[in-house]
Amino acid sequence: MKRVAALLFIAALAVLLLYVVSRMPPMGDPETPTATHVIPRYLEKAEEETHTVNVITGVILNYRGYDTMGEVTVIFCALAAVLAVLGRERRGVIHGFVDRSEVPSSTIVRTMVRFIVPFIILFSVYTILHGETSPGGGFQGGAIIGGSMIIFTTIFGLYESSRRIPLKVRAPLEGAAVMGFFLVGTLGLVGGGNFLTYAWPRVAQDLHPSLVVWLTVLVEVGIGLGGAMVLTSILFAMIREEEEIATVS
Amino acid sequence: MGAWRHFPIFMITVPLLGAVLLPFLGYAKERWVPYVALLPLGASTLLGILLIGRIPSGGYLSYHMGGWEPPFGIEIRLDYVGLFLMLVVCGITFLALIYSRRYIDKEVSPGRRTAYYVLYLLMSGAMLGFVATGDIFNLFVFMEILALSSYALVAITGNRNAVRAAFKYILMGAPSSIIVLLAIGLLYSVTGTLNMADLARRIAESGYTEVLIVSYILLVVGFGVKAALFPLHMWLPDAHSIAPSPISALLSGLLVEVCTFALVRITFSVFTLGATDLVMGTADAVGVAAAAAVLYGGIMAILQKDLKMMIAYSTVSHIGYIFLGLTAFTAEGLTGAMYHMLDHGLAKACLFLCAGNFIYMKGYRRIEDLKGAWSQMPWTCFAFALASISVIGIPPTAGFISKWYLILGNVEGGKWLYAVVLLAGSILAAVYCFRILYYMFFQAGKEGAWEESWHDAPPAMLAPVWVLSLATLFFGVFSSLLIPSLLRAAAYLL
Repeated sequence: MKRVAALLFIAALAVLLLYVVSRMPPMGDPETPTATHVIPRYLEKAEEETHTVNVITGVILNYRGYDTMGEVTVIFCALAAVLAVLGRERRGVIHGFVDRSEVPSSTIVRTMVRFIVPFIILFSVYTILHGETSPGGGFQGGAIIGGSMIIFTTIFGLYESSRRIPLKVRAPLEGAAVMGFFLVGTLGLVGGGNFLTYAWPRVAQDLHPSLVVWLTVLVEVGIGLGGAMVLTSILFAMIREEEEIATVS
Repeated sequence: MGAWRHFPIFMITVPLLGAVLLPFLGYAKERWVPYVALLPLGASTLLGILLIGRIPSGGYLSYHMGGWEPPFGIEIRLDYVGLFLMLVVCGITFLALIYSRRYIDKEVSPGRRTAYYVLYLLMSGAMLGFVATGDIFNLFVFMEILALSSYALVAITGNRNAVRAAFKYILMGAPSSIIVLLAIGLLYSVTGTLNMADLARRIAESGYTEVLIVSYILLVVGFGVKAALFPLHMWLPDAHSIAPSPISALLSGLLVEVCTFALVRITFSVFTLGATDLVMGTADAVGVAAAAAVLYGGIMAILQKDLKMMIAYSTVSHIGYIFLGLTAFTAEGLTGAMYHMLDHGLAKACLFLCAGNFIYMKGYRRIEDLKGAWSQMPWTCFAFALASISVIGIPPTAGFISKWYLILGNVEGGKWLYAVVLLAGSILAAVYCFRILYYMFFQAGKEGAWEESWHDAPPAMLAPVWVLSLATLFFGVFSSLLIPSLLRAAAYLL
């Protein structure tokens, strides 16, 4: 009975939402409210106003940088939530990795991973630094580093990988994204504008474009580093938890 | 325009920055974390106090983030009511953080304490940002931080019940976040803007009525879950009663109010202008739910055996009060609702911290166990009594003032039935509060349950409790400090 009622409710909700979608402005029509109000300025003026060739980066880091500052805080908050529930690996006491898999990883896999991980990280650096000219940026680059750490940890274990990125490196860098935003925001304020202004009216009427680009890249690097460290720390916290469960059972 | 224009943004970002810097300190010197965590919140409180009197009750401060004028950039729009609520948030979070140190040292294992303070600062900063923003997507971003940190803080003690309560909270909270996001997406698709003031203008001109109706209803439901409006309150009693007491105080005293305030902003600054019929129609339904909440919460609170459960159900009832003030659509009703956010925040935070004192000193959670508590913990008992009087609404406490305006607002709006419901809710509150006071002061406890000599909680835990309970008294006696400006601000909102 309960199940039927739930199904009916979901079906009714789906019908309602589908109806609403059918009444929405048609997709891709140049006359829709979305295409005529805010977006034209972003598309036409972003390069000139934010000095970033990639319009998306211009919007998320400059026009709506404050939202992105909130989003990187969400990512940091996710890490804090994981650590609140699982706890961090304690300083100095890192449990040795016990390989419980049926098939031990072969020499070929180990050699390949050791060979390929540096290149993955190199690619992520490229992604981060090129965020303002081409698709990519801090979020993507950070996720790629995080992914490379997952690969490395799966093959070599927590002990090996946490020796390469120890807690004393991660702890200060986890919040790098928020710090980067705060730094650039305060610099804008000191320069005579509002918080998160990339142009400094008090210093110069027209700030040299390359300086604005460097500020953007600074924020990107912060996001990339912070994201990478957050993902790594979450990974390590979860591995430790699994081992604890394994020793109990 | 002086430097004070920049104060709100620092009130929001300084706690967030503090949160990301804390893990570093926690790594080096964990002992210092509880003290250092006070700094960013203290700074926010100070900046908030310096802002008092700068924003007229009919005007607002508009701050363009990054210098981009809205709707292209994000705007912080702080009006009188917003600043008022930001100060309430600053004050209560600061006091509960002072309280936290002793309590958390006992309840939370060492490896997680830094995470507690980090999440605490994130939650405080997010609440401030949530109240101040003038951009609907920015509202969602801060709601995410708020929700995520509160789930984790409910679960932080790590015992089974806490994790279960947090999971229940997530099961309700995550879909409500998605609902809000969906509604924002729908609104954007028909208006092309995210700025609230701009939305209000564009909605008035928009021809997509069906989409607007559904998005408004989704927003009401989404924020209704977050604000625990009956019948969407199921997560609240468990989460609020099982969380560590300082967190219960924040969740009950601030979080639900702040989420209600988001709905106020969306209703009065976005939809009322262009879609009056829609808002009025929804308000009728919300009014019925709120009236049911007042009675249901009150009756369930009477039936509880656990002290914190009882206080949590009382919150369900009082959220109904706030919503009944809003749905009256009169200046008095709105003023009552805003003032109720203040005094409910103070009184509920105080009650939860008092309950925390009993748990900290004796480990007593059941109402039965409080018989004769007076003989050992008189200071806590007196503070509890003062806050209970405010919850019931007896003069000269602030609870009386807010309930007076709530009832006045409903009578002015011609809603006699709701005025009666509000009175009935107060009688229910009297039943559940006086029962505990009777136990505390006039009944003898079990043999050996309490020491005969006074041995109360440590000063660092008593001081916040007393500041909160005296504040309910202060805002009751000196209500004329705020009420006239709030009435003007409410008239401006309508």
